[in-house]
Amino acid sequence: MLKILYTSFSAGVIGLYTVASIWGWEIGGGSRRQLPPDARQNGYRSFHFWHYGLRGGK
Amino acid sequence: MSVLVANCPACGAPVEFKSGQSIVVICNYCRSAVARTDRDLRDLGKVAELVETGSPLDVGIRGKWRDIPFELTGRAQLGHEMGGQWDEWYATFSNGWLGWLAEAQGRFYLTFQRQIPEPGQLPAFDQLQLGQTIPGLPWPTPMMVAETGRAKALGAKGEIPYLLTPGETYYYADLSGANGSFGTLDYNETPPLVFLGQETSLAQLGITSTRTPERDQRQVDAAHLGCPNCGGPLELRAPDKTERVTCPNCNSLLDVNQGQLSFLKALGQPTFQPVIPLGSTGDLPEGKMTVIGAMSRSVTIEGTQYFWSEYLLYNPQIGFRWLVHSDEHWNYVQAIPPGEVTEVARSVRFRGKNYKIFQDAPAVVESVLGEFYWKVEAGEAVRGVDYVSPPYILSKEVTTLYVADASNPAKKRATGEINWSLGTYVTPKQIEKSFGLSALPRPSGIAPNQPYLHTWIYKYWIVLIFAALLVSLAVFITSGSSKEVFSKTVNLQPLPNEDGTQVFFSEPFELAGRRNIRISGESPVQNTWVYLEADLINEETGLVQSVPIDISYYQGVEGGEAWTEGAQRDSIDTSSMPEGKYVLRLEGQWEKWQQPTTVSVRIVQNVFNGFNLLLLLIGISIVPIIMGIYHISFERRRWSESMFSGGDSSDDDDD
Repeated sequence: MLKILYTSFSAGVIGLYTVASIWGWEIGGGSRRQLPPDARQNGYRSFHFWHYGLRGGK
Repeated sequence: MSVLVANCPACGAPVEFKSGQSIVVICNYCRSAVARTDRDLRDLGKVAELVETGSPLDVGIRGKWRDIPFELTGRAQLGHEMGGQWDEWYATFSNGWLGWLAEAQGRFYLTFQRQIPEPGQLPAFDQLQLGQTIPGLPWPTPMMVAETGRAKALGAKGEIPYLLTPGETYYYADLSGANGSFGTLDYNETPPLVFLGQETSLAQLGITSTRTPERDQRQVDAAHLGCPNCGGPLELRAPDKTERVTCPNCNSLLDVNQGQLSFLKALGQPTFQPVIPLGSTGDLPEGKMTVIGAMSRSVTIEGTQYFWSEYLLYNPQIGFRWLVHSDEHWNYVQAIPPGEVTEVARSVRFRGKNYKIFQDAPAVVESVLGEFYWKVEAGEAVRGVDYVSPPYILSKEVTTLYVADASNPAKKRATGEINWSLGTYVTPKQIEKSFGLSALPRPSGIAPNQPYLHTWIYKYWIVLIFAALLVSLAVFITSGSSKEVFSKTVNLQPLPNEDGTQVFFSEPFELAGRRNIRISGESPVQNTWVYLEADLINEETGLVQSVPIDISYYQGVEGGEAWTEGAQRDSIDTSSMPEGKYVLRLEGQWEKWQQPTTVSVRIVQNVFNGFNLLLLLIGISIVPIIMGIYHISFERRRWSESMFSGGDSSDDDDD
């Protein structure tokens, strides 16, 4: 039973690694957000937006 | 063809010497041992009637050994000082050879007398040590002393090639060597006669016709007896082998002699209750075997007495085996030839496997129930040494007996034997299944030879590690090379104040989908730092990936030693982003804010990241590491019970 469990688990880990490699997934590597549509329309290059809009101030 | 036909000097009946090598012939009518001399025949006295041992052999049976025909022309029955008897058959070969075929406990040993160059080198009987190797023997393997003893000529039949005198005793040493080698030193003469040969089988002897049917019939006849003490019914399950039996009705210890029972002593209530009832038949690896006896034994170590029980199993076709029950652990045990075991310091080697010493202590019989093939009794003590190589345990039992010398009763001579047995670990569940039992207690501790059941994980581990590396290699090869999608050296103007930042936006560039991204920054900093917040912005969807880039590099000399810390470069890998057009936003701060700074930024896709591979290997290794820790704990618990705490750890190179 343990043999099956371990083999299955390991196969899963290898499979996950393979999928991650194919799809280019990485662990960590910063945060990912979505710009609000209005910010994009109003110019996201503004200082104000990056400091008070997306991140809520820093 | 007869060599000599004459009349028995005792009864006048005709006696016939068929072989020229025969010295004595037993008269078929009066059982007198008739010896031929140069001039006439001499009556040596009457031999006892042969004890039926259940042998499949008989005088007159023919066979062929190594293509040389032979005939069994005589049989002598010899009594062992520790009880019981064995048969020696004399095989007259067509080429004039004379073979000695010993039969004991269902095993056969064919030997031939050997002349040795310097017989005077052979040790005297009193100098023999159990386990010592006899030097100077013309034999390919070393021969060690497995038993020393005194035999008594009890009965005989047919023709005997030596001067057999009824009732005469003589000393002997049995030798054992590798590959079934067997030998005997016969101290009836000085220097002793040497017989060397090998264990053999009826098939190897070309003996196809035996007297087994008679034996089986006789076994049935002798099976049911009455106790001479209480008169209660008593069943002998191995009547031709049993030397001692306890009465199940009055618990007397009875001696068995040619099927006749005699009372020895009352044993009182047994001190243990057999878990497997006597008479039970179990389906064991070698076949069906019946429990005919049980005994409780103990060892005392550092003042503490440890008990276990042993069940004697019997099958006429297989012989005797044991089931040993200790701390709810079970072992299936069979005897092995002593010469097959090589002792090296604190370990032994048997059939290519090393066994580490576990225990060395005197074992004492506490109580007995049922039948035994030797004259067992409570208090019988042997030196027991156990060696382990899970799931096997090799046990050496050394018995020493001091017997009065026949010619000088005041003189005691040490005799004894070495018995080796091989035990194989059996689970309680297997015992339950074999004997149809239920709810046998489960062990809580670790047995000396209990196998660790999860060693397979190490092989699996190695295989999976290789598989993971192969997959990684395959992915690396098929994914192609990495590709730089953006590179720019950015000059950042001095900051307005210490807390200020400078921002840079790149021109749009393309990112491919399903490719990881490495963003790296490099700045020629010396003993200072630059911090960048990098944002990848998808112009179409507004998706933003933010990563920090922290460049700091310090160096100096302290105590004459140069040192550095950090690097002028930092990079971070992030997951793939949807294919599309992206802008890189950099917002920087640096320590020397009054001065401008330069940062080279590079974005590369499809990079190899060893961290993922490391995580994969860790993932595969977690279970084996946990199991390995448990394995170490298992072995520590096993050896914590040993007198030798790990035995000889230098040689566990099992073949």
